[in-house]
Amino acid sequence: MMTPPAIVPEALLPLEKFHYTRRITMSFLQPLLSGILTGGVYALAGIGMSLVFGVMNISNFAHGDLMMLGMYLAYFAFTLLHIDPYLSLVLIIPTAFLFGYVLEKLFINRVINHPHQNQILLTIGLGLIMSNTALLAFTSDPKILTTSYSSSAFNLPGGISISVPLLLSFLITCVIIAILYIFLSKTTTGMALRATSQNREAAQLMGINVAKMSAIAFGLGTALAATAGALIAPTYYIHPLAGHSFLLKAFTICVLGGLGSVVGAGVGGIIIGVVEAMSSTYLSSDWKDVVVFVLFLAVLLFRPQGLFGKMGGQS
Amino acid sequence: MKKTFALVVAAALLAFPILAYSAPVKIGFINSITGKEAQIGENLTNGATMAIEDLKAKGIQVELVKEDDGGDPKNALAAYEKLVTRDAVMGVVGPYTSGCANVVASRADQYQVPLLVPAAAKEEITMKGYKNVFRLNAPANVYSKVLMDAVKAYKPKTIAFVYAATDFGVSTVKTAQENALKMGLKEVANEKYQQGQPDYRPSLLKVKALNPDLVFLVSYDADAILLMRQAKEIGLAPKAFLGAGAGYTTAQFAQQTEISNFVVSATQWTDDVNWTGAADFGSRYKTKFGKEPSYHAACAYEAIRIMAESASKSKNPASLRAALKAGSWSGIMGSVKFADYSGFTNQNNHPMLVQQIQNGKYETVYPAPFSKKKLVYPFKR
Amino acid sequence: MKQITLVTILAAAAIALPLVIGENPYITGILISVLMMAALSSAWNILGGYAGQYSFGHAAYFGAGAYTTMILLTNYSTLNPLICIAVGIIVASIIALITGSIVFRLRGHYFGLASIAVAEIVRLSVLNFDFTGGAQGILLSDVSLWGLDLNSKNPFYYGMLLVLVVTLGITAYLRTSKTGYYLQAIREDQDAASSLGINLSFYKNKSLLISAALTSVLGSLYGLYIRFIDTSAVLDLRLSIEIILTAIIGGVGTLWGPVVGAFLLVPLAEMLRSNLLGDALIKAGLVSETSALGIFLKENLAHAHVLVYGIITVLCILYLPKGILGLFRRAK
Repeated sequence: MMTPPAIVPEALLPLEKFHYTRRITMSFLQPLLSGILTGGVYALAGIGMSLVFGVMNISNFAHGDLMMLGMYLAYFAFTLLHIDPYLSLVLIIPTAFLFGYVLEKLFINRVINHPHQNQILLTIGLGLIMSNTALLAFTSDPKILTTSYSSSAFNLPGGISISVPLLLSFLITCVIIAILYIFLSKTTTGMALRATSQNREAAQLMGINVAKMSAIAFGLGTALAATAGALIAPTYYIHPLAGHSFLLKAFTICVLGGLGSVVGAGVGGIIIGVVEAMSSTYLSSDWKDVVVFVLFLAVLLFRPQGLFGKMGGQS
Repeated sequence: MKKTFALVVAAALLAFPILAYSAPVKIGFINSITGKEAQIGENLTNGATMAIEDLKAKGIQVELVKEDDGGDPKNALAAYEKLVTRDAVMGVVGPYTSGCANVVASRADQYQVPLLVPAAAKEEITMKGYKNVFRLNAPANVYSKVLMDAVKAYKPKTIAFVYAATDFGVSTVKTAQENALKMGLKEVANEKYQQGQPDYRPSLLKVKALNPDLVFLVSYDADAILLMRQAKEIGLAPKAFLGAGAGYTTAQFAQQTEISNFVVSATQWTDDVNWTGAADFGSRYKTKFGKEPSYHAACAYEAIRIMAESASKSKNPASLRAALKAGSWSGIMGSVKFADYSGFTNQNNHPMLVQQIQNGKYETVYPAPFSKKKLVYPFKR
Repeated sequence: MKQITLVTILAAAAIALPLVIGENPYITGILISVLMMAALSSAWNILGGYAGQYSFGHAAYFGAGAYTTMILLTNYSTLNPLICIAVGIIVASIIALITGSIVFRLRGHYFGLASIAVAEIVRLSVLNFDFTGGAQGILLSDVSLWGLDLNSKNPFYYGMLLVLVVTLGITAYLRTSKTGYYLQAIREDQDAASSLGINLSFYKNKSLLISAALTSVLGSLYGLYIRFIDTSAVLDLRLSIEIILTAIIGGVGTLWGPVVGAFLLVPLAEMLRSNLLGDALIKAGLVSETSALGIFLKENLAHAHVLVYGIITVLCILYLPKGILGLFRRAK
């Protein structure tokens, strides 16, 4: 890595030290920052999946494709309706929620008591239908969403630059997580969701319509996935298979945070973002995915309940 | 009865030459219509379509049997076997990807049906001495050679490699490293990345810290744009960005004017090169398909044209092979001649071009005989 | 008795088929793909259908066999391919034992996800190392065994057929053996089985090892057949999923289910790829060539093969969870 030069004229020593510190800062702080910001978007994807895990106990392998739907919705809102992708969230969130709600009622609900593997295979099948329909409809031309600020950055002292779109999506993610937290802890529906996630049978006995809770949870999960897709769209590309790279990451985040824990998934997302950025910097870019998977297995083996356990505290 | 029979026979004999003349030439076309390379495959399909129309206008009827390999060598093999055994084609154009081309090429001599590869880059495809395999485009080592030759005059000292972990990326960079060594360039960074991730900043930051003169990139469409966006964000500004193929040569990339200006790329073809009909092909393609052609479209066009014209004069695949070996053509890809040299067999020694995006347009800047504009060096935002 | 007669007739037909078809590399090629997928799904079925452990990362063993064979032959071209296949089995077994020690402690969701994680680690590692060819893959120029012409299809047809027969034989044997009963007990209720004194870890690993070894042989054969491999051909998650879907659609946990699934899905995929289905519909007059539907079909049906897989999967899980064979069983 960086070592101060061996022979430096006396007079220039303070300057060299400044540059050395600056270089350390640059090579550590900069990737750390972009890792945190990227991790915010991952977190949103992870939270959606964790919600579904918690309430319905289902691994949704179509989660990546739901993100892809959000990307395309943002893209079409931008190119056809000329709405900024971040503003179009107002349209995307309810649309995606509805889509997820209907999907659950039509398909997922039927396998709610079936063995895990059947549930996984059903979501895989649904995911294949979604991504391949998108391929037929939109072709495999990657679409690029270029806003006026797509390559803009805030330049801070110390040579650090913060990507404007990344910062915006991070801030929006924080707002959404806050709203979600309030919803889950303060509203009746939110509390009903948490009850169902803690103990489905008990919740049913208490009069909660668990079938409706499942549909709401899946709708929310879809809305969150689509939002993550829309948020990343200005800094990524839009393609029918684009969601797949995030699917396994979302699972890792869920497991890391604790299946069913919203806060856990949030923290997990940031951690994964940082782990990726640091692995790229200090190891190499091609091994960073391996690091994430190894971390995933380590969590499964040594702390399967994750950092925060399940929503409501049950593991 | 006998008289009628004789008349019928006579009529048939008279008709035969006419029938033979207008009997369509059957050619197979293996392409990546689906799969990861579908976007480029579309260019190849469109180029082939235009070739068929132009040939028809010249009186050569072509029956093009299209097969999709989806980028999977197993399917390319099945497609090739179907074409030569069931469809009885005279010759085959394709496949697109190097993996598929390698697998099909290894069977060409077994089935004795000529194969003309339009755009696959790996050198070994035409280095195995296969008599029935011909290649139109320049192989991988030329991509980096021509790029480095274009900037040689400015005497750059250091080079960093940033490239996708794909067959094309890895093999192109391997040959680039050899060329860099010959030029006396020092390699300061080697950043191989997996496609499909959102954040390339750590890799780019590492490159920026080492301050190279040249940054040599190999990427496909989407990552090319992401890389250049993030490069601008973090302020990476070498003396030149050298893009080898694919992502850095598309119309979509040029349209991203904020980030693509002054990026240099190597290509097999541009529409402003002074080869016969090149500009015309470019504008006709744009009118017909609504977007500009990539070099793959031109490669496919010329490959189909050469294959069809030769096949129309040949009786069987063996004589077609001889015609391809002996012939020479001049068209939108310049002069084409399949020759044996430097370990290659039946390779067209195609001169690659270097282009640079200036004012949002691709301008050919090297080599001098083919270009109208000059290279802008060093890179600036 | 009846079953044995049926099986003998099938076996005889399968052996005689290439002679009947004659020199037709295209059709023989498709049959090779069918037999390979049937064998892959049957091998997976031993672990997934009978022991109830759904491995979503079986491609790792396929790739282990393929890469081991190709790497050995590229570096030591005079080596007997059979030895390479044997070494491939050893490599796959090591991966299987490591995988088993990690994933078999986990339940439900975690198990499937962990199996994917292991397979992805294998894939990415192969992609990143140089000696495996990295992203360029491995191209084999020539391979020979006992003077057989390995450029022709028939040796591979019989090779795949042999592995399929062995796999089905092992499955049939397991079904009525003590191991088989233990595996099915584990599948039905792990905890009950454990409380009965069944060593869960031992039997799960045993079935995984058998399954992995068979899968690795198929991978080696694939490498020798196509003579080019890269990670997306032999280590991709999509292959793992395709293997599972074939078994599910045919009938998971049955002897012939995976075979039925392969005989249905592989030709279907090829018919879609080569647009035979579209052409056939048009020729049969069911769809007019110039109508909007006709044009759409002609242009797009070929691209739809994965979409069709997805639709079949969803329909199967919802209405036919026991697969096609399940339909016949219920009818009885």
